[in-house]
Amino acid sequence: MTDLDTVGLHEFMQRRRTLFCYSGPLTEELLTTISNPVRHQLTENETPDNVANRVFGVFIEQAQNIIRYSSQRTSSSGDSIGTIAISNIDNTFLIEAVNQISSAQKSALEATLLELSLKDQKDLRKLYRQRLKDGPPQDSKGAGLGFIEMARRVKRFEFDFNDSDTQPMFVYRGWVE
Amino acid sequence: MKFEKTQRTPLVELSSTSCLITGECYPENISEWSEPVLKALADCVEGSSSFNVDIELYYFNSSSAKFLFDFFEFLEDQAEAGVNVTINWRYRAEDDTMQEAGEDFEEDVESCVFNLVEIPTPS
Repeated sequence: MTDLDTVGLHEFMQRRRTLFCYSGPLTEELLTTISNPVRHQLTENETPDNVANRVFGVFIEQAQNIIRYSSQRTSSSGDSIGTIAISNIDNTFLIEAVNQISSAQKSALEATLLELSLKDQKDLRKLYRQRLKDGPPQDSKGAGLGFIEMARRVKRFEFDFNDSDTQPMFVYRGWVE
Repeated sequence: MKFEKTQRTPLVELSSTSCLITGECYPENISEWSEPVLKALADCVEGSSSFNVDIELYYFNSSSAKFLFDFFEFLEDQAEAGVNVTINWRYRAEDDTMQEAGEDFEEDVESCVFNLVEIPTPS
């Protein structure tokens, strides 16, 4: 016997109602592959299309954030490491993502997310349009719209920086109904 | 001119009078995909007096929003230069995300005719 507790892992995932979880190096190629089972899982249990699309949208933005911004990389190919999961609890979907970031990234990210958390849907929509016109901020590798997009799709979100290690762990949770 | 649909990119069909885009758009690298599409679009519209665009997307990610913005801006420039451009933004009933996206693009467009077209949700 080992102490790997495989049954414990199973029970943990079941208890959390986690229907998809990936942890490890994430690339765009891998995202293409895992998009299929994620879509499949979301259409399985009679989830309304618009809800499934919102969950999928948040999942894609979170995965691409890990790919672009995780500061933890594989030593061989430099692929970004992170964890992403979708759970379904009482008809509410929870999309979670965790990845390491540099201390330098933390303050800007915290300010952005704090600002977004104070805005209502109308303001988020306005901000999204404005950002689209203005173009991405300098430190962005995407359109700079990802977190606004997620905030528009979720009922609510929370974020956290787990600083216990030498580098902060960025945690994002979004709930979709 | 045709760009085949892939899992992460929509079908794009272009002629000298029309453009059809249908599917999902969240490519691995948006500019790699969109640059040839926008170039082909420019080639097709050149010399046209009227141009009809049907666009039916079920999902696009935030990086692709920039492509759509550039796409409509180009069409807007063409319309200002005298081409009769009609855009039909087709969205499934109850797809509030795509409906809102269409409404927002509609607001940015002045010289093109922009129609929001609700289509039935497939059962």
